[in-house]
Amino acid sequence: MKSTNTFLQINPYPLIGLLYFFLGLMIIVFLFIMFFSFYKRKLEKRKKFWEEAISSVISQVIFYEEDGQSQMETKVDEKLLQNSNFRQYFIDEIIHAKKNLFGAPVSNLKKLYNLLKFDKDSLQKIHSTKWYIKAKGIQELSIMEQVQFVKEIFRLTNDSDELVRNEAQCALVNFYGFKGFRFLNVIVHPISQWQQIQLLNYLHDAKTTDPEQLKKWLASKNESVVTLALRLAGFYNSFEVYNEVIQCLQHPDQQVKLNALMYLKKISPDDTAEKIINCYNFSDRTVKLAILSVLEEIGNEKQVSFLLKQLHDNDDTIKLASAKTLSCLHPMGKAFFQTHLFADQNPWKAIFSQIENERAA
Amino acid sequence: MKILVAEDEMIMQKTIELRLKKDGHEVTTCSDGREAIQKIEEINPDLIITDIMMPFASGLEIIEAVKRKGDKNIRIIVLSAMGQENVVLEAFQLGADDYITKPFSPNELSMRVKRYSVDTKEVTI
Repeated sequence: MKSTNTFLQINPYPLIGLLYFFLGLMIIVFLFIMFFSFYKRKLEKRKKFWEEAISSVISQVIFYEEDGQSQMETKVDEKLLQNSNFRQYFIDEIIHAKKNLFGAPVSNLKKLYNLLKFDKDSLQKIHSTKWYIKAKGIQELSIMEQVQFVKEIFRLTNDSDELVRNEAQCALVNFYGFKGFRFLNVIVHPISQWQQIQLLNYLHDAKTTDPEQLKKWLASKNESVVTLALRLAGFYNSFEVYNEVIQCLQHPDQQVKLNALMYLKKISPDDTAEKIINCYNFSDRTVKLAILSVLEEIGNEKQVSFLLKQLHDNDDTIKLASAKTLSCLHPMGKAFFQTHLFADQNPWKAIFSQIENERAA
Repeated sequence: MKILVAEDEMIMQKTIELRLKKDGHEVTTCSDGREAIQKIEEINPDLIITDIMMPFASGLEIIEAVKRKGDKNIRIIVLSAMGQENVVLEAFQLGADDYITKPFSPNELSMRVKRYSVDTKEVTI
């Protein structure tokens, strides 16, 4: 009886208020979803319309010379061309088409890009204060091969933002190949390993190289410039810088030493192996392993006594690497394993059998 | 020759269509794999040019559909992006006749189609 009274005493108004609140909230959410889906559909419809208009223009322009037109004509709505979103969409589509095509259509796409003054849009982007807009602008100018803006792009190769300067460096190499690397003369920031690989991917010309420039970069105080110069020397098989590369084996930076070894693996006159051995004792473990690996490729019987000494290094990985190289350079080949004094003792026994198994596989 | 072009990128689709129409072919286009499979039944093309990566059904599924149909006269050219060698090999195993890697020249495509056009005429004779 008492509990029934308590129940009757509960004030229902806050509950009703709460009910109205949630009902109102539901209506607002519903209206928001309706509005959002309507807006999204409108955007999609607009995108579809733009896509239709742009693809018609581009596909016509690609073959305009075949149609006997002396001048490129584009039938694009002037009003649409004043819309910055449309212009950006158009630029994106041209760039996308350029990536999928080659030959005459590509030069026609470039003509269209310039005819509609999209180069000015891209140029405007590189003067933006936001890094991602700047980077996009450089990328557009690079893909569309707008060499006339090289001055503006060159300045950005030393930008404080890493992504901006990466794009600018790629653009220069894309424009000029090896000559585009002249930014290495002025760069103060380090160039990441990834960026170095990217830059090499942009190299199209395997013919032209300037050994004097390479020598200058190999002596740079910026270690990443030296590393990149070593990669370039290897890429161009530049024998002229051989002595400078040998000097790099004394460099304090590990990456410089490793890249010098990569070069010497490709370009190695007779006494190279001996020169490499001379820097062995001053190197860290990674470089030592790299040296042993390079010797496997370029060494000869003269290095056998050096390698036999390394078989007694404290580090088992170095023992293994030495044994592998020995099995290639020793006059007896892998048969020398049986003649070795410690062939029956571990770790040599295990190392020798591992190499034999690897070779057999 | 009746050609079906299955390509989801509008610009590429229109470019290929225009190139082939200039060469005097009868071209039908579609933007996804499912639509392409339907169109094969409807128009019975002599040649299909299909992209590999497409919505709803891939280029490989289109090849399978053609082979299921059992019409050996339908030739198939596959459009693939760089680095899709494994997919191209799979396409050949399924029965594709040729492939073109993007980026490509529309004129190169035209020449390849012309080769099949000659083949078709020979078969007809």
